[in-house]
Amino acid sequence: MEFRHPFLNNPKLALFYGLFWLVSALIMMLILVFANGLGYWGAIVEVFSSIIVFAIVGTSIWYVVRFSTLENNSAVRILLSHLIAASIIVFLYMYLGVVLIKLLNPAAIEWMNRGFVNRVFGGYMMYVIYVVFFYAVNYYYSFKEKVRNEGKLIALVKEAELHALKSQINPHFLFNSLNSISSLTMTNPARAQEMVINLSQLMRYSLKHDQSEKVSFKQELENNNLYLQIEKVRFGSKLEPVFEIDENCLKAEIPNMILQPIYENAIKYGVYEATEPVEIKTVARCNGELLQIIISNPYDANVKSKKGEGIGLRNIRDRMQIIYGNPYLLKLEDNKKEFKVTLAIPQKTKQNA
Amino acid sequence: MPEKLRTIIVEDEELARNLMKSFLSQNDKIEIIAECENGFEGVKTINELKPDLVFLDIQMPKITGFELLELLEHKPQIIFATAYDQFAIKAFEFNAADYLLKPYSKDRLLEAVDKVFERVQKEGISSDVAERVENYPKEDFLDRVVVKDRHKIHIIPVDHIRYVESMDDYVMIYSTEGRHMKQKTMHYFEDALNPKQFVRIHRSYIVKVGEINEIQQYEKESYIVILHDKTKLKVSKTGYKNLKEVLNF
Repeated sequence: MEFRHPFLNNPKLALFYGLFWLVSALIMMLILVFANGLGYWGAIVEVFSSIIVFAIVGTSIWYVVRFSTLENNSAVRILLSHLIAASIIVFLYMYLGVVLIKLLNPAAIEWMNRGFVNRVFGGYMMYVIYVVFFYAVNYYYSFKEKVRNEGKLIALVKEAELHALKSQINPHFLFNSLNSISSLTMTNPARAQEMVINLSQLMRYSLKHDQSEKVSFKQELENNNLYLQIEKVRFGSKLEPVFEIDENCLKAEIPNMILQPIYENAIKYGVYEATEPVEIKTVARCNGELLQIIISNPYDANVKSKKGEGIGLRNIRDRMQIIYGNPYLLKLEDNKKEFKVTLAIPQKTKQNA
Repeated sequence: MPEKLRTIIVEDEELARNLMKSFLSQNDKIEIIAECENGFEGVKTINELKPDLVFLDIQMPKITGFELLELLEHKPQIIFATAYDQFAIKAFEFNAADYLLKPYSKDRLLEAVDKVFERVQKEGISSDVAERVENYPKEDFLDRVVVKDRHKIHIIPVDHIRYVESMDDYVMIYSTEGRHMKQKTMHYFEDALNPKQFVRIHRSYIVKVGEINEIQQYEKESYIVILHDKTKLKVSKTGYKNLKEVLNF
């Protein structure tokens, strides 16, 4: 929270304040001279003692406002502290005014005495105006600070969430793949080498996520193909990936590593539990605004344990929510024979580019 | 004392089987008598061939390595081989001889073999692996139960279980598909089934809450439960208290 005086923080505001009172003082002086027939000296002293003095003393009202904020104090306390502060300010204002007049223009002291009550009343009125003004300034400042903090917080939360949701490659996939490689080094070193390279490429792709949230569909597809090839070494003919991709879609944008958990799921429930070959089918279509990807696999409903939406799919839903503000872009269909995931990825149009 | 351990490998991945076979090929303590690609095959082959040692994967198609253990009539020594480290504690609760984490080295595998060989010489062939499965580990509730009658293995999703009845050393599981016997205690099922869905109403009965149609008083302080299919089950005093708690009446 900011305790410094706004005039110290914001010289422009201080300048504007000074200018406002200078102009007011000038106008009042002219009125006194031409309408009330005061002499120039008398008018200057009068304006000084009534306006400029308050303009200087009044700046301290900020501290009263700052230390009795509306949020943290009871109404009685606020009212009381303002009443006391106002009396002190007005007393100071009157005292300085009288001293000034006595020193500089003793002739006007009687005129001053006649207007004494009006002047005290005016002092209190000015105090009220100042209070309103400073509360407004205070409110504006804390509002700005709140907005700034909220923006920072939202950015931080989003970053943290994305980091956590980032589909990380399942460690068991890694260990099982390494075991396959271990086996291949003895029987088929060339394939072992190929698998090491594929695995490295996939790991590199999944690790470089901080650079860009989105990649081309072509890139995402190539990397998921790597994933499927590695799994194919493990599962052999049991895993049969099939792709029907509209060539026009390859340039579309897509959050990276968003498809991998879908394939992982399809393998876990479709291929893993099966003893026969299982087709994992990917269909992609697109128009200017949307890239639609459908990934489906048959499965045996008797074997699959019913545990609802897995962590992988829930993470995709959460990521879609964070990136596009819409969790319904992921659709799941389960007819007890086939599991089908439909993902709709909005593409940048000219309006929101 | 056998000169060689008659060994079966139960592992769904061909490459993993090949690796294990080649690591074991020169070893004079091991004789591989069979390989199985999934748990069903594993249960059948182990019960038939009665091996001394089984290398067992945990995550496999159809039934898991742990479920396989529940269905064994013959109890061999077990060495688990898996990529999952979170099952290690459970494996040792089952008195497994060793737990290999994939990928493992040849030395590590042979170390495990030596360990089993020593153990067999001390304790004899039969381990008590399957008997240890009695206490249900409190990680998560069951979502399916695997049972075997004569030559067929059934997987019963927990959702299909209607009630469980105790029968001496066995329990009878009544499901939507029929009834199956399993060598387990009532205590095991009381722990393993979600208490929000299943209530112990009597020393002899655990009932699925959703199956209950009516609770009737038939004597001064005794009650019976009537299921949707008109089956009547006795309720004990404690059982009535349990029912009250779950159903909130």
